[in-house]
Amino acid sequence: MTPTEDTPVLLRCENLTRVYKQGEVEVHALSGVSLVLWEKEFTALVGPSGSGKTTFLNLIGGLDKPTSGELFINGTDLTRLSPAKLAAFRLYQVGFVFQSYNLVPVLSALENVAFVMVLQGRPPKERNERAHHYLERVGLADLAHRRPKALSGGQQQRVAVARALAAGPRLVLADEPTANLDSESAFGLLDLMHDLNRQEGITFLFSTHDPRVVERAGRVITLRDGRVVVGE
Amino acid sequence: MKQTPHMRTLALLAWRNLWRNSRRTLITLTTVTLGFAIAVFFIGIGDGAHNQMIRNGVRMGDGHLAVLPKGYLEAPANHVFLRQGKAAARILAASGVVGRVSPRINLQVLASTANNSVGAMLQGMVLDKDPRAESIKKGIIQGVWPLTADSRGVVIGSRMAAKLKAKVGSKIVVLAGTSAGESSSRLGRVRAVFHTGVDDLDGYVMLSNLEFARAFLLEEGGEAALEPVTSFGILLDNETTLPLWEARLKGLQWPAEAQVADWREIMPQLVNYILVDDMGNYVALGFVLVMVAFGILNTISMSVLERTREFGLLRALGMNPLGVMLLVMWEAWWLSLVSLVLGWTVGGGIHQYFATQGWDLSKMMGDQGLVTSGVVMDPVLYSELSWGRVGLLTLVILATILISGLYPAFRAFRVTPVQALET
Ligand SMILES: Nc1ncnc2c1ncn2[C@@H]1O[C@H](COP(=O)(O)OP(=O)(O)OP(=O)(O)O)[C@@H](O)[C@H]1O
Ligand SMILES: [Mg+2]
Repeated sequence: MTPTEDTPVLLRCENLTRVYKQGEVEVHALSGVSLVLWEKEFTALVGPSGSGKTTFLNLIGGLDKPTSGELFINGTDLTRLSPAKLAAFRLYQVGFVFQSYNLVPVLSALENVAFVMVLQGRPPKERNERAHHYLERVGLADLAHRRPKALSGGQQQRVAVARALAAGPRLVLADEPTANLDSESAFGLLDLMHDLNRQEGITFLFSTHDPRVVERAGRVITLRDGRVVVGE
Repeated sequence: MKQTPHMRTLALLAWRNLWRNSRRTLITLTTVTLGFAIAVFFIGIGDGAHNQMIRNGVRMGDGHLAVLPKGYLEAPANHVFLRQGKAAARILAASGVVGRVSPRINLQVLASTANNSVGAMLQGMVLDKDPRAESIKKGIIQGVWPLTADSRGVVIGSRMAAKLKAKVGSKIVVLAGTSAGESSSRLGRVRAVFHTGVDDLDGYVMLSNLEFARAFLLEEGGEAALEPVTSFGILLDNETTLPLWEARLKGLQWPAEAQVADWREIMPQLVNYILVDDMGNYVALGFVLVMVAFGILNTISMSVLERTREFGLLRALGMNPLGVMLLVMWEAWWLSLVSLVLGWTVGGGIHQYFATQGWDLSKMMGDQGLVTSGVVMDPVLYSELSWGRVGLLTLVILATILISGLYPAFRAFRVTPVQALET
C-alpha cells in the first residue's frame, strides 16, 4: 500500500538513540534514527547483523526505552510512559511475532490466540469467535486444539500471527519471523501477512535477512551501524 | 486492572505448568508427602503418648480436679488434711459434677512385720469404688480384694510383700508419726497382694479402706463426725468438660481450709515433661518443614529459571509484572494443594494405623513397666490427632510452601521482556 498525502501517520521518531553500557564500553546500537511510518504500510527492516534492527523494533514495541530522542505512536509519546502504561500500550496497540518460541507451551493454538484477549478483558464469547476466525484466516482451523509442540515451525508462526491480529492492534511488529522457516513456509507466512495487511488494513513492520522476503515488502528500510541508510 | 488476567486463566496456566516437568513435580510431591507423613507420625504418636500419660496420671493420681487442703501441693504431710470432709463432700454432691468423686487419705507410714520394716504410702479409699484401685485390682496375684466394710484389711504390692516376708493373712503394723512428735499405730491384715510391674507401686503402695487410714487423722485432731480426708479426687466422665467444671467448682463456696486444683496444678512435673517433649517434636517438625521448604523452593526456582523466556513473552504480550508473579504463586498454591491431599492421605493412613493398631513398645522395654515423670505408661502407644493439630499442620505446611514460592515469584516479577527475549 503506498501512502498518499492524506494517509495518517502511525509512527514518528526523531533522532532516536539507544546506547547499551557494558561496563566501561558503550555500544551505540541506534545512533539517531528519524523516520515516519504511515498507517497500513507493509515495511521490511533490513541490514546486516548488529545493525540495530531488533533494538529498533523493541523500542517501537515499548519493550525497551530509548536513551534519547522522540518516539510517537498514534500521538502517544512512548518515552514518557511508565512501565505499567507501556504494558497496557503493548497489550492494546501492538502485536508481536518473534523469531521463535512465540507461544505459551501449555496452551493450545486456540488458547494462545485467545490469550491476549483474556489479558484485554474481552468477554469469552467474543474471544472465542475472534480466535476461531483468525485461526481459520491463517489456515489452522483444524489444528486449533493442538499444543505448540505438536505444530511445525511454520504453523507456530502462523498461530503467532493469528494471535497478534486477534487482539486488534494498530501495528504488528515481527522480528525475523521467517528466520527459522524453510523457504516455502517463509513465503507462505509472508504472503499471509501481506494478505492480512491488505484486507484488514493492519500496519506491519518486520525485520529480515532474506532478500526474497524483502521483495514482497511495500517499503524497505535499511539500517547500518544504527543509522537509516535507505528508505527514510 | 485489566492487565492482570482473570484468576481462572492464571489458575489454569499454573496447573498445566505444574505438570510440564511431571518427573520433577512428582519427586517434589514425594518429598513433601514423606515429610508430611513423618510430621503426622511424630505429632500423632507424641500427642497420643502425652494424652495417655495425662489419662493415666489423672486416673492413678487425683483425677482431673481435686479438692485439697490449702498448702498440700506445696508441702504434703500427714497432718495436712481436710477436717471438714463431710462438708466438702456435700458441696461436691450438690454441684452436680458429672464424674466419679473419690474421697482419699494419703499418709506416709512405716509398715512392719516381725521380719522387717519398710516406708510406705498408705492410701485410704473406698476400695470397691475408687478408680485408682481398679488398675491395681487387675494385678492381684494372691488373696481377695477387701470389701468396703473391711476396716482392717490392707492390700500391698509384691515387692513390699517380699521385703516384709508377708503374705495373705499376715499382720502388718502400720505406724505414722504425728505432728506433735509422737507416733500412732494400727494393726492391719494383708488381704491381697498385687503385682503391676511398676517398682514404685509394687514396693511402696499400701491400700486400705477409708476407716483404717482415718484413724491416724483422728490422732492428728480430726473429728470422726466431720469425716476428715486428705482430698477428693474427681475423675470427669468427659475430659472435655474440664474447663467448665473447673470454673464451676472453683467458683463455689468451700470451707476455708479447702481449695480446688486441676491436674496441671497437681502434677506440674508432668506438664513440664510434656512441654519439653513437645519441644522435641516441634524441632523434628521444624526439620521436616525446612526439608519441605527447600524442596519446593528448588522446584519452583528451577522452573522459573528455565522459563525466563516464557515470562518475557507473557510480559511482552502485555501481562503486567504482578500477573507473572501471581502465576508463580498459583503454581506454588497448586503444589501445596496436591501436597496436602497426598500428605493427608498418606499421613492420615499412618495415623489411622497407629491409632487403631497402636505402636507396641513392650519389646523395647522388656517386662518392666514404664514410668515417665512419675506416671505409669502403657507399653502400647496410640496415635492421636486433634482437629486443632490437623488444622495447625495443614496451615504450617501451606504457609511453608507458599512462602517458599515467594522468592521465585519475585524473580519472575523482575523479568523484563527484553532481557528475557534475548536469551
Ligand atoms: N543488551 C545489550 N547489551 C549490549 N549490547 C547490545 C545489547 N543488545 C544489543 N546490543 C548490541 O547492539 C547492536 C545492535 O544489536 P541488534 O540486536 O539490534 O542488531 P540486529 O540488527 O537485530 O542484529 P541481528 O540481525 O543479528 O539480529 C549490536 O552491536 C549488539 O551487540
Ligand atoms: Mg535481531
